[in-house]
Amino acid sequence: MTEPSHVEKPLYLEGWCCLLGSRTERVLAALELREPDRVPTMDVMEEYANIYKILGRRPIPLGFLFSNKYTGRVIDRLAPLINRSHVMDREMDRFSYDRTAASVKMGYDASWVMHVPIWRFDNSKVGTDIYGRYYDVVFDREGNIGTPMYRGGLIKSPADWDAWDKRDLLRFPARTNVAFSRIIKDFGNDIFVMAGFLYGLFENSWQPLGFERFAVAVHKEKEFISRIIKFYEDHFCMMLEAWADAGVPGAIYTDDMAYRSGPMISPRMMRELYTDSLSRITETAHRLGMKIVAHSCGNVYALLEWLAECGFDGVHALEPTAGIELATVKEMVGDRLCLVGNMDITRILVDADREEVFQAVRESIQAAGKGGGYILAPTNSHPDISVERLYWMLEAVEEYGYYPLSA
Amino acid sequence: MNGKEVSMGEHLETVKKAIVDLELEDIEKIVSSALDAGEEPQAVLDAMCAGMGSVGELFDQGEYFLVDLVLAGEVMKEGLKVLEPLLEAESMGQKGTVVLFTVKGDVHDIGKNLVGTMLSTSGFKVVDLGVDVPKEKVVDAVREHSAQAIGMSVLLTSMVDSISDVVSALSAAGLRDGVKIAIGGACTTQQLADKMGVDALGRDAVEAVRIFESLCGS
Repeated sequence: MTEPSHVEKPLYLEGWCCLLGSRTERVLAALELREPDRVPTMDVMEEYANIYKILGRRPIPLGFLFSNKYTGRVIDRLAPLINRSHVMDREMDRFSYDRTAASVKMGYDASWVMHVPIWRFDNSKVGTDIYGRYYDVVFDREGNIGTPMYRGGLIKSPADWDAWDKRDLLRFPARTNVAFSRIIKDFGNDIFVMAGFLYGLFENSWQPLGFERFAVAVHKEKEFISRIIKFYEDHFCMMLEAWADAGVPGAIYTDDMAYRSGPMISPRMMRELYTDSLSRITETAHRLGMKIVAHSCGNVYALLEWLAECGFDGVHALEPTAGIELATVKEMVGDRLCLVGNMDITRILVDADREEVFQAVRESIQAAGKGGGYILAPTNSHPDISVERLYWMLEAVEEYGYYPLSA
Repeated sequence: MNGKEVSMGEHLETVKKAIVDLELEDIEKIVSSALDAGEEPQAVLDAMCAGMGSVGELFDQGEYFLVDLVLAGEVMKEGLKVLEPLLEAESMGQKGTVVLFTVKGDVHDIGKNLVGTMLSTSGFKVVDLGVDVPKEKVVDAVREHSAQAIGMSVLLTSMVDSISDVVSALSAAGLRDGVKIAIGGACTTQQLADKMGVDALGRDAVEAVRIFESLCGS
């Protein structure tokens, strides 16, 4: 499927948004389980192609530089210098800013702004991150650099963890404070910023080890896992402080704890290992005056009650392809958690026709919007998502999303 | 036999239980003890496979989760280190040969590895081609190993076209009629399986065993 290189925002979406209540109030109402004027919308956009299509600009050709035979060889030689000079970190700062600009231009009420100055490169093909994962460098269909593809972990033992260079991790809060200060200064009045970064406590305790190693450690070396969890608990709280200082009103706690069949580890083990840390994270966010939403892909039914108990204000993704039905989630935890997401990214936002997109929006709003407590959003970001269908989604919310909702 | 001796059958029960209880540190010792007590290697293998079967049942019942399946696979691997040198080559893989891989462009392998472990402990011969596998390599492997079935892992929606590439390549090589194809992974749906012309869709590694038993006529 090809889309025009630049997609104009329909005039229909201009202007209405501000007449009927500010975006901040709309989003806060939903997160506080009150009825806003309209079902709010949140974007989940991390793809270069779409963001720069919306902005009507060409991105820096990072993909070309990495994949080209000649410039790739230059990068191979200069990788240590690239890492030491934090060139890629500055690109990630800029990307976070630009994706927020794109969200504002599209007319979203909230924006999930990921800030990820975490990549380090061995060469033009493989790299690591500051947490201890290693990756393949990948590209989307248009040749833009994509989110690197996880291959495994570098931390196999407590000794590896102790020896791991954590300086960039400890510098991260300061860096993110600067990045978000700029974003809030320029866009804070136009959109409700939900700050996020990769990754949460669960993913940071298994991915740097690799799943096979984690499977052994989580059963036999709980003290090792607990040390890692505690470090990232403290780290996340520092990130919250940094965001709050920058004026950010909300946070997304990103942590894929489930897959299509359910949680990756037993809910009992999840509770045992992560409850105290997550409770401290949500308490810190609330103390700082921020809202905090938990994101997890997959079938999260078995985790919903627990996430509510940990103090989150909302839960995101709610993937229909993982068997999640909004109405069921609303019944289970809708009195305690704001539901965020549910717009399918495998077909509806990829190649469905306009009527199907409108139908999907209407059904989601009917299932979860009653009484407030629902923010409509894609379940995730993906290079196949169509900008045109995102605009249809927003138009559909304008048609069906005003309270009182039609029956 | 006096009260302190362990019966032959009890050794095998201990082996099976060690798999079910995820006894990673003790499995080698337990397997060695069973062999030292006179148990046949094949019987010990059967006990380990029975243990994996019980692990699968616990997963289906919601008692065990993905991480437990993976640990059970690790326990199996440790036990097989003691056992494999003693086994006849034919004793592994009586149910058929399955070629497993993650499609070209995708490198996710947790699910694939788990399926491989479950299949090999259930009596299949598994040829694991790894990740990011081009279609030509799949065709060569099916031909070389006379595989009865292939299992494709696809996590990324953007890589689903690789499924049809493999199906087409097998057809072009005249192999499609002789090999069954199953797909699995986060982005796979029944709709996709039907569209791609494959024979089965698997939700998880435990179901994969039943699927391949059905596909291979075991």
